[in-house]
Amino acid sequence: MSALTTTPGGRGGSSDARDLKRRWLGTDRRHNLTGWAFLLPAALLIVLVSFVPMIQAFILSLQTGRGTRLEFADPLWYNYQRLLGDEIFKQTLGNTLIYLVIQVPIMLILAMVLANLLNNPNLRFKAFWRTAIFLPCAVSLVSYSLVFRTMFANDGFVNDVLTTFGGQPVNWLGEADTARFVLILGLLWRWTGYNMIFFLAGLQNIDRSTLEAARVDGANALQVFWRVTVPQLRPIILLTAIMSTNGTLQLFDESWALTRGGPAYASMSVSHYLYEVSFQRNPNFGYGAALAYVILILVAVLAFIQMKVGDKRG
Amino acid sequence: MKRMTKVATAVAMTLPLALIMSGCTSDTGPSEADDNTLTVWAWDPNFNIYALQEAEKIYQQDHPDFKLDIVETPWDDLQTKLTTLAQSQETSELPDIFLMQNNAFQKNVINYPDLFSDFSDSSVDYSQFPQAVADYSTIDGVNYGIPFDSGTAVQALRTDVLTEAGYTVADFTDITWDDFVTKAKDVLAKTGKPLLSGQAGSSDMIMMMLQSAGASLFDADGTPTIADNDALEAAIDTYIELVDAGIFIEVNSWDEYIGTFVNGSVAGTIQGVWIVGSIQTAADQSGKWAITDLPKLDGVSGATNYSANGGSSWAVSSNANVELAQDFLASTFAGSTALYDTILPKSGAVANWTPAGASDVYAQPSEFFGGQPIFADVVAFGADVPSNNTGAYYYEARDAVSAAITKIIGGADAKEALAEAQSTVEFAMG
Repeated sequence: MSALTTTPGGRGGSSDARDLKRRWLGTDRRHNLTGWAFLLPAALLIVLVSFVPMIQAFILSLQTGRGTRLEFADPLWYNYQRLLGDEIFKQTLGNTLIYLVIQVPIMLILAMVLANLLNNPNLRFKAFWRTAIFLPCAVSLVSYSLVFRTMFANDGFVNDVLTTFGGQPVNWLGEADTARFVLILGLLWRWTGYNMIFFLAGLQNIDRSTLEAARVDGANALQVFWRVTVPQLRPIILLTAIMSTNGTLQLFDESWALTRGGPAYASMSVSHYLYEVSFQRNPNFGYGAALAYVILILVAVLAFIQMKVGDKRG
Repeated sequence: MKRMTKVATAVAMTLPLALIMSGCTSDTGPSEADDNTLTVWAWDPNFNIYALQEAEKIYQQDHPDFKLDIVETPWDDLQTKLTTLAQSQETSELPDIFLMQNNAFQKNVINYPDLFSDFSDSSVDYSQFPQAVADYSTIDGVNYGIPFDSGTAVQALRTDVLTEAGYTVADFTDITWDDFVTKAKDVLAKTGKPLLSGQAGSSDMIMMMLQSAGASLFDADGTPTIADNDALEAAIDTYIELVDAGIFIEVNSWDEYIGTFVNGSVAGTIQGVWIVGSIQTAADQSGKWAITDLPKLDGVSGATNYSANGGSSWAVSSNANVELAQDFLASTFAGSTALYDTILPKSGAVANWTPAGASDVYAQPSEFFGGQPIFADVVAFGADVPSNNTGAYYYEARDAVSAAITKIIGGADAKEALAEAQSTVEFAMG
């Protein structure tokens, strides 16, 4: 009773109850709860659709057996042990890492350079160049893979051009190194434009005065690019690097449609091998799930490293 | 204005929900819609699907309300569909009947018995099919399929090209591979045309050579016999010789392979007799082809001039209108000489069903093949084809051998590559 008659702002013990009530339903708390209320449906959906299957897949990777008759393996990590002795898995892992190490840096550097060129205020027909470089991304993965496959066939367009200029036709898809090269070429063609758009957006945020200051200080174009522009693009570089790493490690469409795993598994990616193990051979879904988890661990580790190295915010 | 925005908001909230609800239609299973309709999944419009259409007409003579709903599904897609449906236990999406490669039958029945209905209660008389072929779809003594076409292998050659080089088909009949290589090199030198082609990395050719010598990738117990297999090594050596000499052209896809002989850049092929349907699509080459048996492997005991590749059987799914499906199949593919007479000339579907083989149509000369009664010849070949062991892991073994061949062509040591293939298969067998 006496709490109601205390003066407002009083900090005596008798006003504790009202203070408590105020703090419980205070603005901060209410804002938090409102935020959570809005996030909850989406969060629940993500948990149900993404995280629950992830846990189920992990449990699946601990099981072994034929078809639908799966039971827990003995020892539990039998599938992972099996992975270590699987020659084809090692081959596909090697292939995927080759794609990662070669394709991603080239693509990102190319995208940065192109974005920088396109950001030049004096460039004519900017809209045309932008569209032309971005258009490959709008093409379906399967369509472009099939077209590349036809182009690099033994009697395809590329060999035609080579022979017209006096060269020898190359068996592009029939040899390990050239098959991987064609795949990397396809990836570069398709994804450079996509990453370029990110860099273009990032470049809009760079203050022109920093560039002018550098030029006034006597830096040439290359030094301006390398020492002023790139450090300011750091967050975008981190973003595209992580996305590209993620995408390349999970590569499937090109490996399937362009080279079909290449001559004797020489250009097959881990995801493609997963598909083969699960659907084409005698289905062993437990083993396939273990393969999927290896990819997950690889992506997680690499993303973590990249964040540690690239993110100044720590 | 406020009322408009309220109405607009209300519509915007309910519209997506309504659209989502309309998307959730309940599935009508294939046998629910109509008691007289059967759904079939099969591949190859010129061969299997054509046969189904003719079978439908024949069955409709006695059952006018009958309808067959044919869905063209390439074999690779069919296999993955079956695996997906079985693994997710959605067997209600299965068709009534589906076609299955003989080599894959064991694997599918052993892994996913839930997909199939067996034929124990049907009216099919299995004594009318050759034991070796019916065995592909028999597991533990129970029949799960009706054998359809035979995969007896033939050597098809362009007679005009041979004549240009001074040879006839008789020069390529009952010979050995050494002999073939010599003559084919001569033909290549004189006419510029190779005699064979095939998909790179596919082991069809080698499998046919292997089976012609009565050997397999597995022994009778199901143990892989890839390493230390003399017949296999001889087959691979011969294959490499063919490729190196330019007699065998390797292409990168199935369509390219068909294209090589249809547009005349290659003057022959060795394949299952079902290739005749594709050869005959080149109408401008009519009268210029002939069929003969295969060359045999040198230095291998048990080598013959006969082999097989492919061949498939009809299976009835667990989700089917079983009575109707089995009656349809029993009356047509296991009961109608008229059907086989119709489909034989146009598609080359040589039956396994013995009563069909006795028909006159088989002895009829084929205009496309210069008047040769090819089907009578093929049936005669078929009787001498050695049987082979497949088992559930056949495709793993084939893939491993294909990979080994690619490596050997690239310069690896044959024994090492095959030993690696053997360990890959043993690994895949768990």
